[in-house]
Amino acid sequence: MCGIGGIVRRDAAAAVDEPTLRRMAAALRHRGPDGYGLATGTGAGFVSTRLAIFDIPGGWQPIRTDSGSLIVYNGEVYNHPELRVELARDGIITATLTDTEVVLQVLERDGLAALDRLNGQFAFAWWQPRERRLTLVRDRFGVRPLHYAFAADGSLVFASEAKGLFASGEIRADPDLQGIDDVFTLWGPRAPRSPFADVHQLGAGSLLVWEDGHVVAERTWWRPEYAPADTGGTAEELDELMRDSVRLRLRADVPVGTYLSGGLDSSLLTALAQDASDHELRTFSVAFRDELFDERVHQEEVAAALGTHHHVLDIGTADIADAFADVVYHAETPLIRSAPVPLYLLAQATREHGITVIATGEGADELFWGYDLFKELVLRQQAEHDETALERLDALYPYLSAPGASRGPVWRRFFAEAGAADDPLLSHQTRAAATGAVKAFYRDEVARELIEDDSTQRLRADLPASFDGWGALERAAYLEVRTLLEPYLLAAQGDRVAMAHGVEGRYPFLDHRVFEYAARLPQERKLDAALHDKIALRELAATVLPSGIAQRPKQPYRAPAVAPFFADDSPAWIEEALAPDSLRDSGLFDDRSVAGLVRRCRSGRATGMREGMALVGILSTQLWHEQFCGAARTAYPEETAEPKVFIDMDVKSALGGVT
Amino acid sequence: MTDVKAVSADPRDDVVRKEISEFIKENFLYMRPDHVLQPDDDLTDFALVDSLGFVELVEEVQDRYGIDVQDVEITEQNFSSVNAIVRFVGSKRAH
Repeated sequence: MCGIGGIVRRDAAAAVDEPTLRRMAAALRHRGPDGYGLATGTGAGFVSTRLAIFDIPGGWQPIRTDSGSLIVYNGEVYNHPELRVELARDGIITATLTDTEVVLQVLERDGLAALDRLNGQFAFAWWQPRERRLTLVRDRFGVRPLHYAFAADGSLVFASEAKGLFASGEIRADPDLQGIDDVFTLWGPRAPRSPFADVHQLGAGSLLVWEDGHVVAERTWWRPEYAPADTGGTAEELDELMRDSVRLRLRADVPVGTYLSGGLDSSLLTALAQDASDHELRTFSVAFRDELFDERVHQEEVAAALGTHHHVLDIGTADIADAFADVVYHAETPLIRSAPVPLYLLAQATREHGITVIATGEGADELFWGYDLFKELVLRQQAEHDETALERLDALYPYLSAPGASRGPVWRRFFAEAGAADDPLLSHQTRAAATGAVKAFYRDEVARELIEDDSTQRLRADLPASFDGWGALERAAYLEVRTLLEPYLLAAQGDRVAMAHGVEGRYPFLDHRVFEYAARLPQERKLDAALHDKIALRELAATVLPSGIAQRPKQPYRAPAVAPFFADDSPAWIEEALAPDSLRDSGLFDDRSVAGLVRRCRSGRATGMREGMALVGILSTQLWHEQFCGAARTAYPEETAEPKVFIDMDVKSALGGVT
Repeated sequence: MTDVKAVSADPRDDVVRKEISEFIKENFLYMRPDHVLQPDDDLTDFALVDSLGFVELVEEVQDRYGIDVQDVEITEQNFSSVNAIVRFVGSKRAH
């Protein structure tokens, strides 16, 4: 697991200087705390920062072949031992035991057709100097990030994180209103947009080919497709797939632990990991002092039942306030929830306990339909024949109203009227309506600019051709994968907060074989008419966990939103960030509207979820703007340590780099 | 501007009007500091209350005045403005 970056010049004779690459390396060192490597040459330069997981002494990057082809690579391809054996059969002997070199060699042998063979999570840049061809690739679900932009001289600059681009000194950070509006609609900026103007994210399952100064291809090499069958998808098949997925994701030359929320998904993967592990499994959990958010009882129950070595990080509101600015820096985006902060602190604690690889449960709710959003759709479908089905909507999304609040017809009306029946985004209009509370604080000029080009309109235009042919639940599942999982759960709440501390997250449910199994599973094996969810997964869980855990209803992971920032001992920077002058500097929010929100927060009257989202959205935007776009934006110093690998690409090639 | 007295047959209506206006100002209008709420302002036309805010508003009417709002009663006629709510609460009390 690593950070990567590089520059390819439109002018083949122009240099990429070493100080530029050293600045990029320094900006990405948190992703690769074990060291870094550089490759420089006429017309191109590359950088890699490394978190050593495979072949600790020998796996430094960049790596290049005898032909001069070079790779910088972030991630893991779990089936690399099998691919290495296959390469050896073809007479291709790798010099290292890394997946990085295996990926480079299979690309050299098979071209981009090799991507279909890779089981893992990765983002990489493959440089073929003879053709002056750079290929950027991102894994199927977008677990690993990859950003790129074009400099004033036409050079393509890329990096794992946007800060790597800015550190080059060739790309400037300015806000992108549409990218920000994505956050306040869908929770995250949707590729290819980012919150920064003219900074692009390579989309999940996508690739880009640049050749001698021009982008010659941009395409999706994998996307979620759904073809539910009437039968099939046996319990034995799921058992086998999940065990294999977990087994592959325990592969590492360092110990692997798991995150344990106490819910079904993390409990199941922990049980499977414990079964497959040859050492005592370490588990890590976030617990909250505010019992409204706390799940420690369930976590401890699972840890005790499985006999793991369990660690709990106890989070109070002050912890969230103290770490919030750092989280925004690493997430590089406005946020609408404080929930990434405890996971940032958990990654820090995990590393302090000597664990740098963590398996975690993301993806199960998207694949096996665990979210209330799917249940809402089922009820709305049932209501077409039986209006009483709408009464059951009262039990959904409990966090949308105050604890203990009674619901009734007006709630049902809210759900039932959220989106026209023929709207492709029907399933997501409830979320967009709730999230959009932040937009009420936009300055008039900002709101006017977005009115003709809002986030949902752009999303409708980007839906794949096969979308219309899917059922309503499959369409909802696709939207969950592309609008929540990729831009938010795997990013601001996933990769960024873990890699901030050099901790790699692994996602057994996001093995593409598990996805393909779930995508062809009959609907009633995921969510039935009585709203039993994740049925096939719960049956598997019942074979390895006590029944109380296997049947436990989902508790959405949330963290306090207002309390951390308006306690008596909250840091002074909060009021400063929300002061009229600061708001006018960033230019997005109306200072008098925000002043009203601040008054409500300060007086304890801002108790609703939407006001919490608005506060976190505005506050994070202010910090984000200050850190990246403002007058006092972050400076990017050069990395001063010596690189572990230094390749002069103008000198004849040697595998593994030459120092 | 609407003549408030002209639409107030029951003196309790003035209390309801004041309370509902205060609720809207307190919970929604802090986001619209330039807007001076009038009793006949269309709450959705001015984007004063969004869809979830509307839910909160109806719940407030239910809880504060102890009335049961039926699905068929959640209409523009009953909830589109402060005065519409005043009339609705009055009619529910009359029953």
